[in-house]
Amino acid sequence: MLKSAKNVFWEALLVTATVFFFGIILGMAFENSRVDKINDYYTISEISMMDILALNDIMQMENISCENLVQANIDFADRIYEEAKLLEKYEAAGKISDDFKLAHKKYDLMRTFLWANSIKTFDKCKNGFNSVVYLYEYETEDLGQKATQNVWSKILGDLKEEVGGQVILIPIAVDSDLVSLNLMTRDFNISEYPVVIINNKHVITELSNAETLKAYLQE
Amino acid sequence: MEWLTVVYLVYTFIALYILTLFVLIYLQNKDRMYEIPPIKKQYKLSIVIPCFNAEKVIGETIETLLKSNYPGLKQIIVSDDCSTDNSYKIAKMYEKRYPGKVKAVRTPKNTGRAAGAKNYGARFVRTELIGFTDDDSRPRNDAISNMIGFFNDSQVGGVTSRVLVQNRNNFLEKSQAIEYKIISFTRKLLGFVDSVYVTNGPLSIYRKKAFEECCGFSMTNWTEDIELTWHLVAKGYKIRMALSAKVYTIAPTTFKQWFRQRLRWNVGGLQTINAYKSAFFRCGMLGLFIIPFFVVSWALAIFGLLLITYRIVRMVLIKYLTASYSIEAQTAILSMSDLDLTPSILIFFGTALFILGFTYNLLALAYSKEQDFKKHNLFQILGYMILYLTAYPAILIISVFNYIKGKKTWN
Repeated sequence: MLKSAKNVFWEALLVTATVFFFGIILGMAFENSRVDKINDYYTISEISMMDILALNDIMQMENISCENLVQANIDFADRIYEEAKLLEKYEAAGKISDDFKLAHKKYDLMRTFLWANSIKTFDKCKNGFNSVVYLYEYETEDLGQKATQNVWSKILGDLKEEVGGQVILIPIAVDSDLVSLNLMTRDFNISEYPVVIINNKHVITELSNAETLKAYLQE
Repeated sequence: MEWLTVVYLVYTFIALYILTLFVLIYLQNKDRMYEIPPIKKQYKLSIVIPCFNAEKVIGETIETLLKSNYPGLKQIIVSDDCSTDNSYKIAKMYEKRYPGKVKAVRTPKNTGRAAGAKNYGARFVRTELIGFTDDDSRPRNDAISNMIGFFNDSQVGGVTSRVLVQNRNNFLEKSQAIEYKIISFTRKLLGFVDSVYVTNGPLSIYRKKAFEECCGFSMTNWTEDIELTWHLVAKGYKIRMALSAKVYTIAPTTFKQWFRQRLRWNVGGLQTINAYKSAFFRCGMLGLFIIPFFVVSWALAIFGLLLITYRIVRMVLIKYLTASYSIEAQTAILSMSDLDLTPSILIFFGTALFILGFTYNLLALAYSKEQDFKKHNLFQILGYMILYLTAYPAILIISVFNYIKGKKTWN
């Protein structure tokens, strides 16, 4: 009996290992398809980004209306805002693949690029739009900070819905360890998160409600 | 990969392995599930009924045993543990009515343990086989004869029966009825790999020689039946499970009774693990499977509960802080983006395991059809799986505390 008993234990191990292995492979394929989807979006966004950069450069040479540049910035910001939301969902559900982290970092870099570009655009077209940069820590373990960030995200989301056409909303996770981003936050003397920077001059560390933001936007 | 994901995957692997193991054992032995080995030798048997304050039920238990169709049943010994009610008088009355067939004995003083009454009653047994049944258990009249044939194998030291729940009125009783059936089915499967880990109190029969080699039931262990089984296995005896030997018992009817019973079972389980820790990876299937299976099940259940509690507390705290701040900031407490329904690989694995577990339970229940009772409906089975089983790890944790607390006292 003991001999056959041992056999069934090994057989079960073999069957389990096989099923488990295929499950993991299937899971990886599933997650990779999501990574591919994000990467496809990223490629399109990257082209738009280059387009905006080109537009910026052309503007220095020729007299182009601010309206085009501002609208291009807003449209682009809106698009990557939506893509980032999808990415965060996928990333939260991504358990095996580490590729989401890389995609997240790429998007953070792109948004940093957009932030830098929006500063340039803002200098040229001061009255054309408002920029709202939201800096947060994605991987924080502090429950209070997580809760604060949840509420701030909602307030900013509501604000965007209300006055979307005039606001460039750029949420950036600061824990991506990007040199360019670190340099920019240092320029603004930011050491604690979350933080909202309005029109590249007001650094808000305490946010009681959406009205506070609106007041700054109207200045 | 996050450490939490690794933990979940390890859990998934172990759960999948155990399920696969049971399914394979079943597939390899499905024709033998209800085997009744022919009785080659008419062994003489005595049944001991440990009894304490059981005046309402003891008579019926004796009557039930008297109806047994096994001709080798020579004596029924009621071992009264100094009951304060009329139990002993009733047993004496049956002794007079059935001279030689029924014997009533009384412990010199109350032992406070079923093991005490069992061991005392065992002193009066003169047959090759000795059986025990609880004072509120009802073995079917063919139960004993369906068990005896297993003793054809001289290595078999004990045979246990299938315990079923008699009372099935409230949710707790119905859940236990389901649980007992699944346990019996699983125990039968474990029997095919020499890994039966308990010979139950409601009806188990032992070779007297083997019983005496183990010095009877342990007086210090809260689950003397588990301890005796491990002792027998450690001594090289085989334990068999007779699925066709049915015995009905009264399950706890209130949560308090149920909780106390499970606490006793689990503290006893811990005592047994501690007593046999030196047999780990030794003594055949006891050390190779039974003890590791017990220990791993305990560790996984307790760690799993702590992990889930940590996750839930953390989630509730975040939700609470977010809600408080949302009210203060006059923004929506809940929005569509909070309802994240993006499936992950862990959800797929979890769902697959739940379906497999559910299927296994259905298989076990399908193998336990009873003519006298209605079939369990889907809600009862789901209630058992989702509510009843979920409460169990909490009992394990309390048992560990009680065991540690009790151990100091016992020392």
